[in-house]
Amino acid sequence: MTSTRIDRRRLLGTGLAVAGLPLLGARRALAQEGGNIRMMWWGGDERARRTNSAIDRFTAAHPEVSVEAESMGWDDYWARLATQVAGGNAPDFIQMDYRYMFEYARRGAIRPLDEFLGEELKISDFGDVNLDSCSVDGKLYGGNVGVNSFSVIFDSAAWQEAGVEAPSFGTTWDGFAEKCAAFTEGNVSSRVHATADGSVQEGLFEVWLRTRGKALYAPDGTLGYDAEDAGAWFAYWAEMRKAGSCVPADVQALYKNSPETAPLVSGRSVTDFAYSNQFASYQLLVPKELSVVGAPVLDGGEPGQYLKPSQMFSISSTSDEPEIAARMINFLIREPEGAKLLGLDRGVPASPEIREAIIPDLDETGRKVVELISNLSPQIGALPPAPPQGAGEINAVQIRIAQEVAFEAVSPEDGGARLVDEAAAILERA
Amino acid sequence: MSAYDAIEGGKSAARPETSGWLARAIHRNGAGYLFLAPWLIGFFCLTLGPALVSLYLSFTDFDLLTSPEFVGAQNYVRMVTADAKFAAAIRVTLVYVALSVPLKLAFALAIAMVLNRGMRALPAYRAIFYLPSLLGTSVAIAVLWRQLFAADGFVNSLLATVGIEGPSWISNPNYSLYTLVVLSVWQFGSPMIIFLAGLRQIPADMYEAASLDGASSRRQFLRITLPLLSPVIFFNVVIQTIEAFKAFTPAFIISGGSGGPINSTLFYTLYLYQEAFSYFRMGYASALAWVLVIIIAIFTAFSFLTTKYWVHYDD
Amino acid sequence: MTDAVNDMPGRGSAYPRLNSTLRHALLIAVCIVMIYPILWMLSGSLRPASELFGGEAGLIPSQVTLSAYPDGWFGLQVTFGRFFANSLIISVLATIGNVLAASLVAYAFARLRFAGQNFWFALMLGTLMLPYHVTLIPQYVLFRELGWVNTWLPLIVPKYFAVDAFFIFLMVQFFRGIPRELDEAARMDGCSAWRIYRKIILPLSMPVLATAAIFSFIWTWEDFFGPLIYISEMENYTVQLGLRSFIDSSGTSSWNELFAMSILSLVPIFLIFLFFQRLLIEGIATTGMKR
Repeated sequence: MTSTRIDRRRLLGTGLAVAGLPLLGARRALAQEGGNIRMMWWGGDERARRTNSAIDRFTAAHPEVSVEAESMGWDDYWARLATQVAGGNAPDFIQMDYRYMFEYARRGAIRPLDEFLGEELKISDFGDVNLDSCSVDGKLYGGNVGVNSFSVIFDSAAWQEAGVEAPSFGTTWDGFAEKCAAFTEGNVSSRVHATADGSVQEGLFEVWLRTRGKALYAPDGTLGYDAEDAGAWFAYWAEMRKAGSCVPADVQALYKNSPETAPLVSGRSVTDFAYSNQFASYQLLVPKELSVVGAPVLDGGEPGQYLKPSQMFSISSTSDEPEIAARMINFLIREPEGAKLLGLDRGVPASPEIREAIIPDLDETGRKVVELISNLSPQIGALPPAPPQGAGEINAVQIRIAQEVAFEAVSPEDGGARLVDEAAAILERA
Repeated sequence: MSAYDAIEGGKSAARPETSGWLARAIHRNGAGYLFLAPWLIGFFCLTLGPALVSLYLSFTDFDLLTSPEFVGAQNYVRMVTADAKFAAAIRVTLVYVALSVPLKLAFALAIAMVLNRGMRALPAYRAIFYLPSLLGTSVAIAVLWRQLFAADGFVNSLLATVGIEGPSWISNPNYSLYTLVVLSVWQFGSPMIIFLAGLRQIPADMYEAASLDGASSRRQFLRITLPLLSPVIFFNVVIQTIEAFKAFTPAFIISGGSGGPINSTLFYTLYLYQEAFSYFRMGYASALAWVLVIIIAIFTAFSFLTTKYWVHYDD
Repeated sequence: MTDAVNDMPGRGSAYPRLNSTLRHALLIAVCIVMIYPILWMLSGSLRPASELFGGEAGLIPSQVTLSAYPDGWFGLQVTFGRFFANSLIISVLATIGNVLAASLVAYAFARLRFAGQNFWFALMLGTLMLPYHVTLIPQYVLFRELGWVNTWLPLIVPKYFAVDAFFIFLMVQFFRGIPRELDEAARMDGCSAWRIYRKIILPLSMPVLATAAIFSFIWTWEDFFGPLIYISEMENYTVQLGLRSFIDSSGTSSWNELFAMSILSLVPIFLIFLFFQRLLIEGIATTGMKR
């Protein structure tokens, strides 16, 4: 077997269009051969410290390998990654997001990892669910770095003070609304509301749809719900708003998909919604102790939640050293030495063995997240169909229309119709 | 210094005669291109190529990750026929330009005039007025602006002392754009410095002479300050207009990249950025960019056409 | 003449006589509005993270801790000292390039006559109008071809070729304000274009050169997107890249450290500003010679 290396210099000569390269078939004969790889992820300084120390451990154990690490915040990450990929200089080792994975995989920018399974990548104990959730069209495109689920976060002391039992596993949608109304009754401050406005949260909308037997997207890539479903969703939150149960429109509009802008953190609500791997970020910014449970359920409905990778490690299709990158992925997500250093920062490890190994080192906040994932089991359903191209844009449309409903520019019913129309137009264009 | 002294006498210095005109013209041409050379090299080697590539891409379907595909004028057609977001972005941007440019410049000029006089502690004031501009496009701005303009922010606590309950300015679609205008005006440091430098070039003795003639200060402003400052004012108008059309970072950091709430801060370039990097439509984004170039060019050309009525050069 | 510069009696009397105390009071009021957000940032660097976003927008922290400063300075793999040094080198080199190149080109546009002048001038202004997002990728390919990726060259070298038309246009406007009689006379004395540029235009343009230097330095210091795209190794990071390393909107951010280092990052550019604004003021010494 000869190694087929891409001559990057020559590729560059072709200028812009280097991205859609044919995938390289041939594998290197000696997997233990050394080399240099570039790794890129998004995250703050805490994540950088953890990841860098894990990289150091990896290169200490494999002196023939050197790793160049780059990290930046989410907001800057995708423009930079796209520029490098389009500019013919993609990093070998790429941290991927669930939705972007489909965009990159379908366009051939990241490579399937199936050939490494059982060799460099020993992740069969992740279970089918955690492998499928990192697959596109039947091929594995990423190593699951952390299991994640949508969750409800709240300040339990505040609920107690209001004399209402806080939301818990198995609270129904109606029950949640009742609890919030009761909270409002027992509440003295006009500044604080029972909950954030969840209508803009795609993750929560998805759970709600799934409890009703629907989904965001159908298996054929069309929309998985109709105008009536969306209208009912907006109406649920319009009621909450009217009752004073959730924060008013202009407070929720401060939320920019980041913890520091959330109503819970700004002290305007005692309950909020987020993915479970963000729980620690919320706790850091709030002086009171927070609790976390699953999203509401529907009486007699379907299980609404599913386990999703918070992020995954992928390999560029133009990487010269995919074996080394694969070995490093394995080290970070499947070997206790590496995984322990990463901790829970990227979500709960998918491997039961790794999970056991890191539990003793966890703090109180971390333990709550691990508990959440185990307690969620009854609410976990099948993986949803893959999001089609254009899903990211539809998410933005949902946020905009939810705001239009909240600011009473359109009725919930019309908002539902509008969402379905615009989403259909986007899917048709993509 | 002797040459200068000779000239100080006034405008009566003799003009050079025109003999050997052709030779001089050739001579001048050569010198001109020699001085222009750095820019010409930069333009042809660094600027032009990428610009032409983006022009080509504007006629393609280019998703960043696979090869561009030629689609003719389709992107341009879509923009004007089937893109509601394009219309929203144009509207937001025009409002922003129309408000932020005059306000910022008026503020900058007023402060520059106050600072351009004999006062103690002037450097300190100048420095403090420039401070906000130093913050530039820091991510911290997003947090600071929320502290000022959220429902329980600083502005509303000031309003509360006079009994007014203000809305959450920054997150209300009716007002959010205006908080970005305020941000732009708040960072008035650059045009202020340019105005100051311009005021420095106006000879003090002109004011003295006018004072002796009994001209009112308003008259002095209209007859001396404005005409002599007009090249600088013109510069600031043109530059600030271009910059306002291209404004990106304020909306990007304050709206978290969304242009929200409800597209109320969807600046044109923010929309372009979303198309390019969030939705993988670099071809369409390039078309948007070239339409913006045309819009700005029209505004700029118009400003240049007006110069003969109000901009006074010494030459 | 020096006294006239400092006291500027002529200017003082040219404007309405406003009570000086009142004037100061007004300026101070504006100052407070100007610096409130910066004071908030300072207090944000001193208070616990859990108090930052709680809403009650007071300036006084409930407890003061300075730990964000050492934590921020040493918190990344490379200390901020390195980032400051990097930013300083890049900004100084970029500033020199900008002022040199732009003044040469502006002199050509403002003072020399050559064929195609208006055409080139329009083209130069045109380069200001294209949003950089769409030239990003072709430019990246270009610099990668040149082998400049992950070096500072893409941030510095273009400035020596006057790619930023802002500075050219700025200087053109000011050069045109210098009385033409000066160079006409010098030309009659047999001075070359170069000598006129060196001996007349540059010395008479201190205010605008200082202005250009201030902007050039500060904008390079603040530039974030260029370094983001072209610099990957942390050893080569600028201050702005370092600052952004604290923030991740999708997860945990170190806000105290961000605020603390942001405050520190203002110090050098503030000093630069103070230094160059002296030049800006000294520029007036030359204006006595006008006309």
